Amino acid sequence: MKAFNKIGVTAGLLCAFLFVGAAGAEEGTEERGKLLEQEGRLTARIESLKQEQDYLLFQKTMYASDSKYLVLHIAARSAQLRYKNRILKDLPLRVVSGRIEALVRGATTLTGKVEDPKERNALVFGSAFLLQGIRPPALRESEPGFVRFALSKKDFSSLFYAVETGSQAYILP
Amino acid sequence: MRNKIQLMLKTSAVFACLLFCSSPSAGRSEDVPGVVSLEGLRAHVQTLEREAALLEEENQGLKNMLRAQENDDIFLVVDTESNRLTMRQNDSLLLTTKVGTGSRQLIKSEAGRKWYFESPMGSLTVLGKERNPVWIRPDWSYVEENMPVPAENDPDRIVRGVLGKYALILGNGYKIHGTKWTELLGTHFTHGCISVGDDDLEKLYHTVKIGTKVYLY
Repeated sequence: MKAFNKIGVTAGLLCAFLFVGAAGAEEGTEERGKLLEQEGRLTARIESLKQEQDYLLFQKTMYASDSKYLVLHIAARSAQLRYKNRILKDLPLRVVSGRIEALVRGATTLTGKVEDPKERNALVFGSAFLLQGIRPPALRESEPGFVRFALSKKDFSSLFYAVETGSQAYILP
Repeated sequence: MRNKIQLMLKTSAVFACLLFCSSPSAGRSEDVPGVVSLEGLRAHVQTLEREAALLEEENQGLKNMLRAQENDDIFLVVDTESNRLTMRQNDSLLLTTKVGTGSRQLIKSEAGRKWYFESPMGSLTVLGKERNPVWIRPDWSYVEENMPVPAENDPDRIVRGVLGKYALILGNGYKIHGTKWTELLGTHFTHGCISVGDDDLEKLYHTVKIGTKVYLY
């Protein structure tokens, strides 16, 4: 009889162990899921904060600088010519060619001012994009996907003489 | 029989212990390659939370610093290429109008003096405001009309009514003023000053304060 009691107690303990183990495994899976979700959310938030900080630091630099600069709002298809914290001019942009979705958010530099006697001037920002007037610049074909934005004749003319090689631009999505 | 049952129970107990100990709730590393332990994951999430909080704090500091440099003051922008003047406040556009700017022409006197009529560039300030401004004809004005240049204090130099009803003084002889050549607004036709139509000039005069910034490019 005693032996059967022992067996019963041991069996009970065994069941309890199994139950706790299974419940723990379930809880662990649930917690893991929540943590992974939180991890994903935080990683995205950190990336977004880093991008925001990059633009804030760009602004901080430009506020202290004596140079005019451009801010491109890709989604709005517009740009602003700015000086310190002032907007000097709003510039509507028209996409002529290229993959604007491939433009990388962040700062870029005006690497070339292409002057052409036939009003085919252009402002080239490295391998990121170029700005032109209504008439396309006489440039050799660049990399596929290279973005070309067009401005109205007057806007482009104003902008062309307002910036210098080395002027900064910031691309915002 | 009893021994057999006991052996089976003991074996099961050992197995159950192993199962329990290896369960994720026990907080131990899993042996599955590539899978981080719960403890490790918790620590990683905490690190990310700290990093996000730090970035938020830094960004808020930067925003405060940038905001401290901003103000609600009205400012003027003169685009000397397209001959447009805009009055702005923060991101709002309050006025945009055609203006006349420097003709970018060069004249020479017989004595070899030269004048190049270009509007000033850069960041200027409204230094003063005038009603019914008087024009003191400079030497180039006589040279341009092939007239003899009078003495510096000659009363003939004082001309009334040609600069409109108002003027905003920018310094070094440059002003934002009216013109009787309103059909030329939107072109380069002045001797460097910024010419504005009467109605817009009146608005500017009544809105702009001494100290207002004027950005010319």
